[in-house]
Amino acid sequence: MQLFFEQLLNGLAIGSIYALITLGLALVYGILRILHVAHAAVYTVGAYVGLAIYSHTSTLLLAIPGSMVVCALIGVAIERLVYFPLLKYPPYVPLISSIALFLSLEELCRIIAGPELLTFPAALPFPSFSAGGVRVSGTLVAVYVVTALVLAILWFITSKTEFGLAMRAASQDMDVASSLGVDSRRVVDAMFAIGSAIASIAGILVAIYYNQVYSTMGTMPAYKTLALIVVGGMGSVPGAVVASILLGLGETLLIGFANIPMPRDALAFIAMIIVLMWKPAGLLGRG
Amino acid sequence: MLLDVSGLSIAYKGLEALHGVSLHIEEGELVSVIGANGAGKTTLLQSLIGWQQPSGGIVSFNGRDITGERSHIRARLGIRIVPEKARVFTRLTVHENLMMGAYGMSGRREKMAVRDSLRRLYSLFPVLERRSGQLASTLSGGEQQQLSIARACISAPKLLLVDEVSMGLMPILVDQVFELLAQLNREEGLTILLVEQNALASLKISHRAYVLETGDIVLEGEADRMLNDERIREAYLGI
Repeated sequence: MQLFFEQLLNGLAIGSIYALITLGLALVYGILRILHVAHAAVYTVGAYVGLAIYSHTSTLLLAIPGSMVVCALIGVAIERLVYFPLLKYPPYVPLISSIALFLSLEELCRIIAGPELLTFPAALPFPSFSAGGVRVSGTLVAVYVVTALVLAILWFITSKTEFGLAMRAASQDMDVASSLGVDSRRVVDAMFAIGSAIASIAGILVAIYYNQVYSTMGTMPAYKTLALIVVGGMGSVPGAVVASILLGLGETLLIGFANIPMPRDALAFIAMIIVLMWKPAGLLGRG
Repeated sequence: MLLDVSGLSIAYKGLEALHGVSLHIEEGELVSVIGANGAGKTTLLQSLIGWQQPSGGIVSFNGRDITGERSHIRARLGIRIVPEKARVFTRLTVHENLMMGAYGMSGRREKMAVRDSLRRLYSLFPVLERRSGQLASTLSGGEQQQLSIARACISAPKLLLVDEVSMGLMPILVDQVFELLAQLNREEGLTILLVEQNALASLKISHRAYVLETGDIVLEGEADRMLNDERIREAYLGI
């Protein structure tokens, strides 16, 4: 039973991190209907930038915000320089560009930082505790707290502010939203900036959690997050969060606890196939 | 002159949908553009709100050239649209849809003005007040059309563009909606440009009208005279 709870807590942490990465993908798909594969490379860049700042300053209080700003700028640059000019073409054109961009950014990380595995020897400043024989490490606590905080802030922005209302309206009908005075380009910029900044947080958390940073760390998330937005319902942010957490729990419990002999990374795609057959709109998708 | 359009041309997918259309609207007028399906009426309105960029011509609003301006700038200058098929935000509540109509009006004076117009619009459309907390997707077609009009009017626009508001409405609702537009024009001095297939209903409430045929203005004049014009009666009124 103790093992079960430990695996449950690990699964929750992994699901939280999936959620942080998938959020950006859902935001971008929601407003531009683009599969932003390169988002996973932004997550990798986030880990590298975070590590670079941390190794110079030795404080996460600078590394995390610094990396968020850099990634937000990269996200906005991707949108303005690559996606915006391609919006008039069929959706596979931005998709192919996004894959190319993903590979280029990964290579760029490898060229700049080198091919070897780097370590991220930071401790997250959260206390560990144990209850009923189950030990919860400070890193796990940090993942929970940071994810909850990010989700709460995002919820507040989208449901309590006028700009968030404009974001939701523009996701549904950008032309009508702009005819009501919303500068749609600013809304799109904001969505890329928010999604990319959150991805950089995920990158840093993963790097600390596993104590490693490498240029292809975004490869599996790139595929997995695509499966996750399909499972959650294309463009649905709550759906993306729910699907991510369920996947984290499912992966850890089925493979780590029930010992089902199956490659862990296959589960996301099996879930995607089942959801597509049973409820093609996704868990929280609309029609 | 509130709106002055001269020589407006629009190419759509390589084809020219409007060829040098000129029209003008004075403040306080209710003007309609009538014409058959595919005459270019919706294209005309979409270019006036900035959803389509013209290939030629000049649009000026209140003396300012807005030909190349994007939609949100036009909205801030006081141009609002009731689009074809209402296009309310179905995943937002009725109240949130109305608040989108007042987007950016955050000054103290503006907020008070918005509160006043909300009260007025709710008394005009009681169903919107009753259902203000519900998702707009739960409204009927006629109610969505009312919401779309209210959303466009909450900011007290200078010019209201109305695109095929009668389409898909029950005949009894068509009369109500047209009466309402006439009332907004008469009592609040709202300038309205109406684009309609339902020529009879729109001519009845209009001061002036233009007839658009495959991208050209072929006739213009007082609405009363058009109602009695043989050609119009035959081609558009079916009498």
